[in-house]
Amino acid sequence: MGKSPLIHVLVLLIITTLLAWVNLFYGNITLSLNNISEGSNQIIFYDIRLPKTLTAILAGGGLAISGLLMQTLFRNPLAGPYVLGVSSGASLSVAIVLMLFGGVTNYFVGKSLISVAAIAGSLLVMMFVLMISKRNRSNITVLLVGIMFSQILGAVQGVIEYVSNPVSLKSFIVWGMGSVSNTTINDIGILLPVVVIVFVLTLFLSKSLNALLLNEAYAQNLGININQLRLKIIIITAVLTGIITAFCGPIAFVGLSVPIASRLFFKSTHQFHQLAFCFLLGAITLLFCDTICQLISNEYLLPINTMTTIIGSPVVIYLLFKSKTIS
Amino acid sequence: MIQLVDLNIGYRVKGNDKSILKGINATFHSGELIGLAGNNGSGKSTLLKTLSGFLPILSGKILLNGADISQLSSSGLAQLMSVVLTDKIAGFNLTVFDVVASGRIPYLNAIGNLSDEDVRIVNESLNSIGIQELSDMLFDELSDGQKQKVLIAKSLAQQTPVILMDEPTAFLDYESRVNLFKLLKQLVQEQNKLILISSHEIDILFRNANKVFYTYPNGNYKFDFPASIREELKL
Repeated sequence: MGKSPLIHVLVLLIITTLLAWVNLFYGNITLSLNNISEGSNQIIFYDIRLPKTLTAILAGGGLAISGLLMQTLFRNPLAGPYVLGVSSGASLSVAIVLMLFGGVTNYFVGKSLISVAAIAGSLLVMMFVLMISKRNRSNITVLLVGIMFSQILGAVQGVIEYVSNPVSLKSFIVWGMGSVSNTTINDIGILLPVVVIVFVLTLFLSKSLNALLLNEAYAQNLGININQLRLKIIIITAVLTGIITAFCGPIAFVGLSVPIASRLFFKSTHQFHQLAFCFLLGAITLLFCDTICQLISNEYLLPINTMTTIIGSPVVIYLLFKSKTIS
Repeated sequence: MIQLVDLNIGYRVKGNDKSILKGINATFHSGELIGLAGNNGSGKSTLLKTLSGFLPILSGKILLNGADISQLSSSGLAQLMSVVLTDKIAGFNLTVFDVVASGRIPYLNAIGNLSDEDVRIVNESLNSIGIQELSDMLFDELSDGQKQKVLIAKSLAQQTPVILMDEPTAFLDYESRVNLFKLLKQLVQEQNKLILISSHEIDILFRNANKVFYTYPNGNYKFDFPASIREELKL
């Protein structure tokens, strides 16, 4: 890594650490390193705050990586897991699983079922959108198809919600609001290794992604196996979006706006750098949103999607005005 | 050197071969500028796409320095043959340096960091085309003629003995066309490259090419010196 990207990464790491610190210790109950093992503080710190902070870092980073890869693959700066309906694919699968297997009490079986279903749902939507984009190269068409697709999936989900029993309905609706605070430390045991391993594997695609920035034909002439690369990107984005959605529900705008912001802030086009920037910037964004929610709400925690949308949509609007080459 | 042996080119649609040009036998040598000319749809682009591996060989062989290109690995082929295409590349904040540096990709590991030597080669390529002052500019903001030069510099950074160019004159004004051919002749003479270039600008192409591969609409072709093809076509 050159000098300035390394400095950027260090700065981002420092900001991440500071925000994680605030997120862990400040809220309606203020903790400090000295009192976290005392009585109820212990529960607040280890069972609530720590899993939440780690989830915000992993989910923010993972969704941003997922968005960056989609934008490169579709050559579309407005692509992202939420707008293209990939998150909805995961949601619908989770709804179906909760309705069919809502009674499963075994922790590991239950979580595995939901995770696998969410990943499969994301994978199907990704393949569908890619198929459409091969037939119609217009960026706007792909976006509209993604939006229509999430509407359809949402409608089907509505039907399932309507016919399901009140208990699973409530758990599903709460999940569907998107949150980083529903995870336990056991969930982190699944989420952390998956996100970290996938992220590290993605770093080894940096060179191929650099080639793909030119276009597919040039990438192929530079010795990149395009079909293989496309498949790898689809699997990575589906696994990241799927597993994060399984644990946190659909989270809006992070996957879309973080890669856009990262490209605006950091000029390096080397995807190795951009992957690192995006992961950290994603983590910072979600940590920031969650910290705000935690600080301004006393009794109830604000749903995190309100914050991600308030912060994320202006970024998108800014880009729409700034860029002339979206379509 | 490229040898085409009983080559049959065209498209393969759902397992059916749609042949455009059959039984091609020709040899292109290093240090030659080969012009590809002919009507639309008569096969010159198809030939370039087949040579660069974008289209499958329907039958016959393409030998590159004696080696069958269908047996070469994709990264091996990337070190022997580079392309300058008409497809647009745009967006993602790519600078001129980034685009030229992409020519080094076949030589890098999976992470893709450039070594000092790679950076030197990229700068040398920019220099030899005379566009070093554009290095930090965004590729999107260049004129068509400048873009063309950047893509040729990318080919030079790729350090391939063969360069394939599909309609590089299409978006250029007259002066840029003349300069482009001047540059290509220089590369052929000084660096002993083999350059294959397709163009509709028959006049300038015939004046500069060492030999011309001319395709007819009826599926025939002629490969000869420009003067003899000119005579036959009564140009």
